[in-house]
Amino acid sequence: MIYIIDHKDSFTHNIVHQLSKFDKDVECEDFNKVNYKKLNKADVIVFSPGPGSPKDYPISSKIYKKYKGKKKIIGICLGFQQILFNESGQIIKQDKIYHGFQSSINVISKKSLFAKYKTFKVGRYHSLKLKEPFYAKNFEVTMRCNISKVAMAIENKVEKIYGFQFHPESFLTENGNLLIKKILSA
Amino acid sequence: MKKNYYLEKLYNSKKPFVVYKVTGGYDLFTDFSEKIHINKKNILNFFSKFNKNKNKNKLLDLYIGFFGYEILCDLNNIKIPKQKSTNFPKGIFYKPETKIEIRKNIIIKSSYKNYNQLFGKKVCNPNKILSPFKINIDINKYNKIFNQFSKKIKEGKTYQIKICTKYKNKSLIDPVTFFWKLMKTNAAPESFMIRDKNFSIVSCSPETLIEKKGPKIITKPIAGTLRKTQKTNIRKALFYFKNNIKETKEHNMIVDMERSDLSKVCKPGTVKLSKVKYVEEYKHFYHYVTKIEGKVKKNIKVKDIIIAMMPGGSVIGCPKISTLNLLNFQEKESRNIFTGSFGFIKFNGDMRFNIIIRSILNYKNISEISVASGVVIDSTAKNEFNENYIKAKSLIDLYK
Repeated sequence: MIYIIDHKDSFTHNIVHQLSKFDKDVECEDFNKVNYKKLNKADVIVFSPGPGSPKDYPISSKIYKKYKGKKKIIGICLGFQQILFNESGQIIKQDKIYHGFQSSINVISKKSLFAKYKTFKVGRYHSLKLKEPFYAKNFEVTMRCNISKVAMAIENKVEKIYGFQFHPESFLTENGNLLIKKILSA
Repeated sequence: MKKNYYLEKLYNSKKPFVVYKVTGGYDLFTDFSEKIHINKKNILNFFSKFNKNKNKNKLLDLYIGFFGYEILCDLNNIKIPKQKSTNFPKGIFYKPETKIEIRKNIIIKSSYKNYNQLFGKKVCNPNKILSPFKINIDINKYNKIFNQFSKKIKEGKTYQIKICTKYKNKSLIDPVTFFWKLMKTNAAPESFMIRDKNFSIVSCSPETLIEKKGPKIITKPIAGTLRKTQKTNIRKALFYFKNNIKETKEHNMIVDMERSDLSKVCKPGTVKLSKVKYVEEYKHFYHYVTKIEGKVKKNIKVKDIIIAMMPGGSVIGCPKISTLNLLNFQEKESRNIFTGSFGFIKFNGDMRFNIIIRSILNYKNISEISVASGVVIDSTAKNEFNENYIKAKSLIDLYK
């Protein structure tokens, strides 16, 4: 079962539908109405996109810390930042803001689930970004924006934690299903 | 349009009625056997009228009316701080007993045998303008709000937000003359009017929010407006939208948001973009439109669809909930019908709703016209303020 923690975003149900392609049992609830019984049963926890910054969601941070290493965790946009924030990363404002923007991004690491140098066209909706350099045990930035070089994906194969700064569920993202499928089967 | 004895009599009476644009003409509904004022207490009860699994689908088995903005916030548990208000009803739905199909020919269908005798006294509905239009937010105030919201965008609290301005005057209007005058030049696909005893609404809304027939549900968000000039045409408009990064981003955002709203009530895998990024032409504008459709899940009720889809995202901003909170905190005056939805729900659960924009509400002899345009990261206050004025202008011109 996949449990999505919704930060009251207007894109979350696109993720529900996307994940439903790969798992019959997808649950989605607001971050402040989490059903911990169900959450405990989940194989995968997904932190949704949402407004604001990770520090606005202490409940989600708590959940992340509790299940890190015990369940597969996927973060999208704000969810991606939520993971980084809890790994002592700093989330800062960008000079240039990307909302509804299609960008080309590159796989930059050999350690990624995806082939190095592969390019994806993806949809972006974010005001904030990861401050770099960023170091955390077992984490690696595996994708970057071709132009701005902003971090677009992180992977932690040891504890099975994955995050995308872009939106794999957006209609602007090509091969979004492939991205999700690979991470779900990793 | 052909003169029709029945319609002439209806127009020259005090009898309430509703007109809704359909392909190829208009449907007029009257002889209301029920009128429900929607509020927080009775709205769930209202929705339960449609939950009975009767598969009746008679012509007049429907309620037609509107949800105002405030009741839609209530449904989503979004608070509105105390605002200046005229106490206009939060929503009204009517059960019609007579339907007049206005096409090339006029066809009247009624559950009353004596429908053509039910007019009451003949009256004259005059047009009188008692004071000129005034705007509630001037460019300076607008600038201030604009800057506040731009800051919220940089902080990621919202990605797109619509600032609403309102024009008001004192006037008595005959909605019938106003509506048909408007339809001559601007028969937008979601146009409608309501004439009731103490208020009227005249609208040339272009935007379809929900069209549901059986399991199939469609929404057609508009995001992107280009003013018409002598040099523009539909092809050039498409070229403009496709190459304008700001319009493209704004549109993309609304498309993803509406996909997500539909996904709340649709079967996984059924939500599709059936017509992507095309241009519709209107009297004063070109609009950038995408058509999205899906198949509704079993067990989904009328209430679920209304809550998932309303208020329509394209006129609010994104993400919807946090943006609504920002808007409500800032707006000092009730939106009334503006960015609510007008339409009908059939007893079998089929429905059609628009987004109430480009509308005149006349209540207690005050006409109000509200307009909104979007703040995204690349907007400028002056452009958006002017866009608001252009949107209001075709309605303000009716008063001349």
